[in-house]
Amino acid sequence: MADKKSKRIKINMRQALALLFPYIKDRVMSQIKSVWLIILYLVFFQTIILRIPISESSVIAFGIGLVIIGLTIFMEGLFLGLMRLGSLVGSGLPKKSPITVILTFGLLLGFLATLAEPSIHVLQMAGKTVKPWEAPLLFILLNKYSHYLVYAVGAGVGVAVALGMLRFYYSISLKPFIYLFVGPLVLVTVWASLDSNLKNIIGLAWDCGAVTTGPVTVPLVLALGIGISRMVGSADSGATGFGVVTLASLLPIVAVLGLGIYLNSSVPQPMSETDFFKKNVRSQIEVLFRNKDDLTHYVLMETSPQAQLSFFGGNHEEMLRYLKDLAMSEPKRKAVFGAANDALERWAFLRGTKEQQKAVFGHLENMQEAASQYTKEGTTGINIRDLGKRNLAAAIKAIGLLAIPILIVFFLLVRESMPYPDEIVLGIFFCILGLATFGMGIELGLDRLGTQIGSKLPASFKAISLPDDRKTISNFDFDMVHVAISSDGEKRQFFFSENDGKMITIPYDPSDFDQLTGQYRYTPVKGPLFGSGSPLPGILVVILFAFIMGYGATLAEPALNALGATVEELTAGTFRKSLLMQAVAVGVGGGIALGITKIVLDIPLAWILVPPYIILILITKFSTEEFVNIGWDSAGVTTGPITVPLVLAMGLGIGTQVGVIEGFGILASASVCPILSVLLLGLHIDRKRKAALAEESFADEEAGKDKK
Amino acid sequence: MKINKTFSRITAYLHRNISKDVLDVLKKMKLQDVHLASARSIVIEEKKGLISIMPGRDLAQDPLDIIFFLVTPESEEPLVNLIIEKGHLYYPGRGSILVEEVELIESHEFFGDYAIQPFEISSQPVHLYSCIGICCIMKRGQGDAVARIALDTGTCVPAIHFGTGTGVRDKMGLLRITISPEKEIIHAFPTIHEADHILEMMIEVGRLDQPGSGFIYSFPIKKGLVNTRVNRGEQRHAASIEQIVTAVDHMKGNTEWRRRRTMVDKRSVRKKKYLRGLVDMILLCDGGTGMELVKAAMSAGAGGATISSMQYMSPHDSPVSDISLARELCSMVIPEETKEAVINVLEESGAFTDRCHGQIHLRRTSKAYTYVGK
Repeated sequence: MADKKSKRIKINMRQALALLFPYIKDRVMSQIKSVWLIILYLVFFQTIILRIPISESSVIAFGIGLVIIGLTIFMEGLFLGLMRLGSLVGSGLPKKSPITVILTFGLLLGFLATLAEPSIHVLQMAGKTVKPWEAPLLFILLNKYSHYLVYAVGAGVGVAVALGMLRFYYSISLKPFIYLFVGPLVLVTVWASLDSNLKNIIGLAWDCGAVTTGPVTVPLVLALGIGISRMVGSADSGATGFGVVTLASLLPIVAVLGLGIYLNSSVPQPMSETDFFKKNVRSQIEVLFRNKDDLTHYVLMETSPQAQLSFFGGNHEEMLRYLKDLAMSEPKRKAVFGAANDALERWAFLRGTKEQQKAVFGHLENMQEAASQYTKEGTTGINIRDLGKRNLAAAIKAIGLLAIPILIVFFLLVRESMPYPDEIVLGIFFCILGLATFGMGIELGLDRLGTQIGSKLPASFKAISLPDDRKTISNFDFDMVHVAISSDGEKRQFFFSENDGKMITIPYDPSDFDQLTGQYRYTPVKGPLFGSGSPLPGILVVILFAFIMGYGATLAEPALNALGATVEELTAGTFRKSLLMQAVAVGVGGGIALGITKIVLDIPLAWILVPPYIILILITKFSTEEFVNIGWDSAGVTTGPITVPLVLAMGLGIGTQVGVIEGFGILASASVCPILSVLLLGLHIDRKRKAALAEESFADEEAGKDKK
Repeated sequence: MKINKTFSRITAYLHRNISKDVLDVLKKMKLQDVHLASARSIVIEEKKGLISIMPGRDLAQDPLDIIFFLVTPESEEPLVNLIIEKGHLYYPGRGSILVEEVELIESHEFFGDYAIQPFEISSQPVHLYSCIGICCIMKRGQGDAVARIALDTGTCVPAIHFGTGTGVRDKMGLLRITISPEKEIIHAFPTIHEADHILEMMIEVGRLDQPGSGFIYSFPIKKGLVNTRVNRGEQRHAASIEQIVTAVDHMKGNTEWRRRRTMVDKRSVRKKKYLRGLVDMILLCDGGTGMELVKAAMSAGAGGATISSMQYMSPHDSPVSDISLARELCSMVIPEETKEAVINVLEESGAFTDRCHGQIHLRRTSKAYTYVGK
């Protein structure tokens, strides 16, 4: 074997295929293994437990296929390209550059990472239901000042990465950093929960910490850190190279809470909806919006007719005059409703009251004409090309913003030969391609599936209507309506309908009956799962669902996969990737279940977050450095592109049904529990190892005495 | 600079909780040029309760530190005794320590003198006996099956560490990404008369006769104390079998009495053609430089190499303390004839300069096996 010259081996097509086939098969199979649980579970839950058929199932199946392919390519790209590049720079940099350069680089990289993986839109989605009168501070952070929020998070992550590098450089333990940040954070959280405005941003702040570190940042930062600590770390420190993710989860919380406290004085206190739009507080609430037109837009689009009326000082005439004005003048219309030409008409048709519609359309005929147009547009097709373009652009941005500075640093500062440059280039290409495919798949598959289940999940403990299954009955006649009476003497109208040979009763609502066409449109109602008794068993089903969903989704998270592989590598296989992933998944499941409990029972978030973090500080004190690093880091990686859409959809679905202010906090509680589970596992493993040694010799005790 | 002298290489495989104590002592003694790698050891653990229904998973993984350094043959004995004393290695289950003869061929000028100061021995010297080292390089994730052989036969507790392999992979284009460079390196230390059987069983289990599956070789070990505690669990006798074996070894002064019947069914095993006359060339160099040096070596006829990362430890006030903490160990098993050419090429590519701080040890292999084609 040794006398072969190191010439390139010629490989023919058949041999190439023979090599490629098992390679691809292995990778795809491992991704299928990580994804199947969550997908099957979601499908099973919706169809068997909730008994609601999945709509658009072919699109969803296609999307899931894309998720698997995307994940496969992306993970391969990570291992081939980005992580190797990270560790090359990490191990090269300390030799060539002073610590100041490393810190600057860390600061910059952290900030770019936040821009590269935009988590802000995720948070905005979670805050979609936030009302400015209920939580003004939260509203302003998510809308007018959302860019400040991004900068705050970016600064937090930047400082975190820099601190992490500093820690590696001087091999400082992670524990003091945890005490330093978590202790005050817990105190500030308690303090903030006493302030009527600040208490609403606790969820946002802690969630920011959870979502900042995405599937590109985590592996890169891990690889970088391991590179650096290998070069400079002392031999007897634990699993160094970790810890940056922890800091990158904690510091954004500090930054966002700080931003909130800073802005708090300039923002009005929460008030009732009608008070909010009274003219005497107008100057205060205008602060919350970009300008007057933005305020008007919000009022018209999002609030109730009563609130709209009180916005115009309770004066019908003034409101209608204003609307007519809008309909006439194009610049005014554009200022309020944006560039789309028919936005005003669309609004009037979909949301306006009768008199508002009249004011906008002028004549009833115009309105009917428009009506036919808007109802038709209800089902828009999926534009694959647009979807692909958008996701590709996002992927290029995410990878490029991180890979380019790293490459620049490599060529300018490290200046070493790059082993296998072709593999690294291919890896980066794979990362982009994989991330784009993955993103498309998420949008087509997981998002849809998650939203469907999320909106229907409350059916297990309360009755909800199913707008997707809306039915139209032709030839309806008022004569068919009957009257039922309750024991209190209250009368209600209903009629019978036949469905697959079964007679069912449907409550009659006059507004659903179109006299002209003789059509009755009704929305079926579903649930509660266990009949009309106590909602408790239904709520338990939801919590159990949340647990299994969190568990399954976490196993599919790419960042956790990369973390697990790194941990296994660094511990030479003593800490198996599968063990870590199981521990984290159980933790995340528990955390999401806890978060859902919070929403359903409307428990203040501080109660959910503060006790676990206090326990964590205690456990951290007793854990070994190795497990502290791994445990705290796993908190940051758990909430990634698979978990987040599912969790948000579920949180929103339940939140809207239950009527809470915002859907925040689930992600935060999904972050704290895995730390707990991994640290506890660590304590257990540690105890077992010590016990095994003690069993083998009692000499340990003597040796211990010698030392003292 | 060329050295070409024979030294003793002491390698200790210690449970991580013990290795700290030992390393502290080595530090105090101002031992220069100590390399450290993290590894794991596996032992069979009795399953209890519900878990026992589940198949597999009866292996306990422990973190292990591999510590090795070179000393002059005269100072090997006191040092080994000291480590055994400090780590209480005479109790089975805490670790193994081995001494082998290696030839230090050439090195950076820092590593000239390996003599250490004489010191007092505080305890009775422990009797050591010679054995055979087996090193098997497998694809990552498949090492446990091979390592288990050592456990199932009660031979010793194997050590496994990670490395990256180069070889056939580097002679292909981009298609090489289909072959994972990640390897697991398994070390086991059977007694001399067990060695052949263990080797053969490992080849069978690891399917090393298939192309691309791995590489195995054995090498002589001058003397050592091997951890034989392959089981963990409740003990139902006054002494465990490992304790008895250790005691009898001690009384007899050798392991000859342990000779046993052949463990492999001869009929099912094909006659294997072992490769002989190979040497294991171990190149130690600074982190990040291993790959290019190995590439250079491959151009001179080395078939491939396994690179694993090491940590470097040295006292603060010696010239070697300038050397980077991250080091790499490149192990290349090559025919004796090509040795000179490889060394020359390595020298030309700067392996012994300040950039790489390299040094080359050479150890003889007894026999080696891999798929060699038809």
